[in-house]
Amino acid sequence: MSSHALPTAAAPRLRLDWPKLARRARLKRVTGRSALLAFLLIVSLPILLPYFWMVVISFTARSGGVSTQVLWTACAVIAPAVLIYSVVHIATPSRGLRLATALSLLVIAAVLLAGLVGRQLHLANYRFLWNPNIVEELRSKATAGGQFPSVWIAFRNSLALAISQTAIILVVASLAGYYISRFAFRGREAFLQGMLVLHAFPAMTLIIPIFLILHWIGLLDTIAGVMLVLATIELPFYVFVMKGFFDAVPWDIEMSAMTDGATRRQAFRMVVLPQVRVGLIAVGVFAFIRAWEEYIFVRTMLIENTNWVMSLYLFWVSDDIMGVDYGIVAAVSVFYVLPSLLLYVFCQRYLTQMTIGGIRG
Amino acid sequence: MRAMPDFARAQQNRQRANFALFLGPALVLLVCFFIAPVVVDLGLAFTDMGRTLAVTGFTLDNFERMATRDSRLLASLGITAIFVLSTLAVFNVTFALLLALVTTAVPKAFGAFFQAVWLLPRMSPSVVYALLWAWVVDPNERGLLNQVLVHVLGLPPVDLRSNQPLLTIILANGFIGASLGMIIFTSAIRSIPEHLFHAARADGAGSLAIVRHIVFPAMRWPISYMTIHQTLSLLVSFEYILLITGGGPFYDTTVFSLYAYRRAFENGQYAYGAALSLILIVIGVIAALGMWRLMDMRRLLQPPRIEGH
Repeated sequence: MSSHALPTAAAPRLRLDWPKLARRARLKRVTGRSALLAFLLIVSLPILLPYFWMVVISFTARSGGVSTQVLWTACAVIAPAVLIYSVVHIATPSRGLRLATALSLLVIAAVLLAGLVGRQLHLANYRFLWNPNIVEELRSKATAGGQFPSVWIAFRNSLALAISQTAIILVVASLAGYYISRFAFRGREAFLQGMLVLHAFPAMTLIIPIFLILHWIGLLDTIAGVMLVLATIELPFYVFVMKGFFDAVPWDIEMSAMTDGATRRQAFRMVVLPQVRVGLIAVGVFAFIRAWEEYIFVRTMLIENTNWVMSLYLFWVSDDIMGVDYGIVAAVSVFYVLPSLLLYVFCQRYLTQMTIGGIRG
Repeated sequence: MRAMPDFARAQQNRQRANFALFLGPALVLLVCFFIAPVVVDLGLAFTDMGRTLAVTGFTLDNFERMATRDSRLLASLGITAIFVLSTLAVFNVTFALLLALVTTAVPKAFGAFFQAVWLLPRMSPSVVYALLWAWVVDPNERGLLNQVLVHVLGLPPVDLRSNQPLLTIILANGFIGASLGMIIFTSAIRSIPEHLFHAARADGAGSLAIVRHIVFPAMRWPISYMTIHQTLSLLVSFEYILLITGGGPFYDTTVFSLYAYRRAFENGQYAYGAALSLILIVIGVIAALGMWRLMDMRRLLQPPRIEGH
């Protein structure tokens, strides 16, 4: 807008229709922004549609058939609602108006959806939650190593793996992160550089020797073994993230604690640690999500079906019955993806706080 | 040492105890499951370990086989080059940059929403993401891509996974790979001082001129970091390829890292797999060394201000 102000200074006699110019500038800005938003929407469709398709399949598919009609009906209802809301959002800065539009559109869309596709929705695909023999029921015999375990065994294993790994990472990374952030010790620079190399180093290349080491020490095919491996290969990353959070804590806090007679361990535990709460949450959530989604390492190192985690359970379910029944595979996927998505959505503002050496990851 | 006063000895003991307490756990884990595997791989590459996991002797056979007798290796190197370069050039750098520019130009709520959408694949489990692709490229008329092609555009259905397997894995990896670059480039754009944009606007610069003269100069460092980082991670990660195509049809999408994995865990040639991985390990170390030159070393190595323990 300021660029339009320049000519008046140079040519004061020129009559300028200010309201018209302002209108034109506003129009230009709105069209520019709309074009950018349309671009974003179009390039994001290949991500949004498949996720939506998965949810639709899980609630509508029946054995042997998938209805594509529900997907497009739902899109035909939701897409205009989103478009209308976007236009309103761009056009008005008023919060109340935006909220009212959002609510009324939500109600209209819900009513339309209930009327148009409501009768085709059902929960039968989620029966794997209470019926452990789902694969045998569909195929008479599972091909993946005999009996399928109940989904809750896999769920429990995943939870055990993710929680124990997160706990180890939180303890070890905050101790090490604090030490390299705040303590002077011989070889500190060399140690930091070594850690940086490990951080950038692709641990995936070590999968063969790690497999052998676990075999030699008897931890192959145990949750504990996989947990230690996963915690370690991600450790350098989390140590640097925690170091970043400790670096940001003012020195004065620690110094005054020590002037008051605290030792450094006490200062760490009682004064500094509460200051990096955000960092602990971010690291915890991120580590949990990473462990929850792990596939390659668990695929290679967990063999018995009682040791399956959710990723293996879903993989074998899809391997066994994808051709027969889409619905159950989609329902298991939704069940599996939900915890990490909820964590991600609710903790996003913590996750964006993580930085390493000036680089956000 | 004999004449060391008591307080100095106590100080030294406390220093050692603190070192063990704070750094000990991390060191033990890293030595057992990070350093040791590197050493084991180095040794393993010179053995003849097969399916029985027994070593009968040391040999250079693996390297000879790699250099002279493995025609499939050469093919997989070609596939790796195409896969890494095109994913990197199209998605992980270029498209990531475009996303960062556009999401920072639209109103904040929309920008945040679309960034969250692009992070969705990264945050959802890899098996689920691979299944989504299976449903998208499903060759029958229920495949999402075919639904769009047939009903919306009126084109004949395609079987992307069998006919264009390499394109499939490039797209699948690209939609994930773009998000990391997007985040790093976004924070680089946001850290450009606001007054530079105002000054450029006042001087009559258009949006493209601003991107060219203000944003790009600030992006040189993040872009070179991302290029090395993503080259390395594309080079070694085969998770989505294994899940979506299994390296197939036949060996058509078996990139180098997947080739090492398949040799070890499908054919039981652990020693040969280890020898193949050794190449990746060497590349990994070189790239890692190159990368920390790009980090903010002065801030990272800032000495601590309290000397006592």
